[in-house]
Amino acid sequence: MSRKLLVIAVLVMVASMIFAAPITLYIWQGAGTTFTKTLQDLCNQFTALNPNVKVDVLYTGNYHDTLTKTISAVQGGNPPDLVMIYDVGTQVMMDSGVVIPIQDMIDKDPSFDINTIIPAARNYYSYNGKLYSMPFNSSNPVIYYNKNLFEKAGLNPNDPPITFDQFIADAQKLTVKDSSGNTVQYGFTFGTGEPIAWFFEQFLAVQNALYLNNNNGRTGRADKAVFDSPAGVRVLDFFNTMVQNGSAINAGAGWDNAESLFLSQRAAMLIDTTGDITMMLQGAGSNFKVGVMFLPHPSGVPYGGVIVGGASLWMINTHNTQREQAAWDLLKFLESADSQSQWSAATGYFPINRNSIIKLLYQGYYAQNPEFLVAVLQLLMSTPGPATSGALSGAMPDIRTAVSDAFSNVFSKAMTAEQALQQAQNQANKDLANYNSLY
Amino acid sequence: MSLPRKWIPYLLLAPTFFIITVFIYYPAYQSFFMSLYKVSPFGTSSRFVGFDNFLQLFQSGRFLQSVYTTLIFVVVTVGIGLVLSLFLAMLLNDKIPGIGIFRTLIFSPYAVSPAVAGVLWAFLLSPLSGYVSYLFLIFFKVQPQWLTTYPLALIAVMIATIWQNIGFNVIFFLAGLQSIPKSYYEAATIDGANSVDKLFNITIPLLSPITFFLIIMNISSSVFYSFAAIDVMTEGGPSNTTTTMMYEVYREGFFYFNNGAASSESVILILIMAFFTYLYFKFGQKAVHYQ
Repeated sequence: MSRKLLVIAVLVMVASMIFAAPITLYIWQGAGTTFTKTLQDLCNQFTALNPNVKVDVLYTGNYHDTLTKTISAVQGGNPPDLVMIYDVGTQVMMDSGVVIPIQDMIDKDPSFDINTIIPAARNYYSYNGKLYSMPFNSSNPVIYYNKNLFEKAGLNPNDPPITFDQFIADAQKLTVKDSSGNTVQYGFTFGTGEPIAWFFEQFLAVQNALYLNNNNGRTGRADKAVFDSPAGVRVLDFFNTMVQNGSAINAGAGWDNAESLFLSQRAAMLIDTTGDITMMLQGAGSNFKVGVMFLPHPSGVPYGGVIVGGASLWMINTHNTQREQAAWDLLKFLESADSQSQWSAATGYFPINRNSIIKLLYQGYYAQNPEFLVAVLQLLMSTPGPATSGALSGAMPDIRTAVSDAFSNVFSKAMTAEQALQQAQNQANKDLANYNSLY
Repeated sequence: MSLPRKWIPYLLLAPTFFIITVFIYYPAYQSFFMSLYKVSPFGTSSRFVGFDNFLQLFQSGRFLQSVYTTLIFVVVTVGIGLVLSLFLAMLLNDKIPGIGIFRTLIFSPYAVSPAVAGVLWAFLLSPLSGYVSYLFLIFFKVQPQWLTTYPLALIAVMIATIWQNIGFNVIFFLAGLQSIPKSYYEAATIDGANSVDKLFNITIPLLSPITFFLIIMNISSSVFYSFAAIDVMTEGGPSNTTTTMMYEVYREGFFYFNNGAASSESVILILIMAFFTYLYFKFGQKAVHYQ
């Protein structure tokens, strides 16, 4: 009898410990070191409201490294509660079997209105009407331009180019050579590797063209790439025309080199993510005025739009309902209008909560900071549809390399745009078959 | 109470052996198995495919290109690296004031982390704003695009690797040079030998054991440790022209999450390195001759 009592007493104690004990949630983020503090500040506000839940934000390297570390952590049995996974990691996560789809939490929680999330962001991270992850740091590419250099070149900084042809013409006017014919200032710069492959995807969407079959993998697993199209050739030609006529400089792999060329005023225009608007404005400081323009568009082609880029927050299945509930509460907090406004203002990622956009507008924020409005408008004015929902496949990281190689092959004049795209598409088809053979 | 003497060596070797087993032998054994499977990114599903991964490698242009790049990379970095190191070592062998400072400076690149060295070179070679690009513009009136065009990108990565390894090689050559008795050179001078004769008939032959050791060390380091410089400077581009086999393994495994393919590539890499190690042990002593 006394033994039974003891067991019950122990059970009660354990239960009370579980339900009252403070827990620490772990978030891994891969957006950049500078964002750790911004995100931690937000999470601390959550802790102030929920004293039992502490949150620890950790920078785990870039998006690739974060996904790699997540895989090791899951296999090692010690995963974070929430992890930030970049756009093209979406299908890998959906197929992983180690996550809790956000939709499962939404369905259990009538207090949450999924329609507060802007439709473009909702669509990107959904499959078959089921939302898998919480959109958080969403971005798209824009063109940053140096207003002072525009004026110097006799261009109107308040009338930046809209079409491909205008852009190419302006880039030439913005190119400055010294007496011996060497270029000291380029019209345009960009990063290769991951960045240029992402720009390619976006410029296809700008023309409302598909990247993968089965509606970009949205109505079934994509098994063929379809980017070897007139739209794809136009994108390659757009970059290549400027590289060959000397008005654009290929800054090399990654984001940093191109950014430093732009900030040091060696290049007048830069294609880059909106996630860096704050960094760009601070970097330019009082040296020059930064303008932000929409992605240019080839004239005569129906307008599409841009795809949600950046990353979203995924909930890892920790098999601990208390942790999962806390993680869900935190996600709701991070999605709230206030959190999104703070996050957007501190970074440049656009708010994914419609009420946040509305509030910022009323407060006059966008009137004072029109640069931030470009990203939001560019996305919200996009034509809805599979092309602007973005391509979904676990082979996307491989395919991006193939596409980036296509650009290199065209820049080095080893291939024509058609040949390069065809080669990239063949490689992409192999990568798709390889990935699909696993599932 | 004391252990039998014959156990002591095993006891002393045990910690090393334990670490090697856990961190090298076991993963190597695992990767051999994994090379026969197709594994999903999270490892939740896997399928036995036999030698299919290997077959696909040899049909894929990317892998064959990486083998070719590795060959060029190794021959050039080891060849030029060693010649340059020997030259520097001979200069540093002179007794001039402040030689200690020069020796330290020459050795210092080796102490820099490879990733930092890569960042440094990427910065120096960056178009327009890099110092090297700037000097080329001033002196040669050209603007080479070091990191974005073939073959300049490969050359840039090789320069960074050679620069990084030179300190290590110079130290060994310097030790070798100092162990050659002065009397040999004095005798040669009396016999009327000039400095070229002395270099080819005394210095190089007497340095051959160290040279052979350095060749083997440099081959394995340029195959395995070239990773950081490539990752930071070019990410294997443009168009995979700076992707060595090691970098290709990394891309497959940690970028594309094709664990099976990455494992089969590393198995091939292990076999190649095993072959070089075999050569070292078989011919290591014989290939070195003394005059």
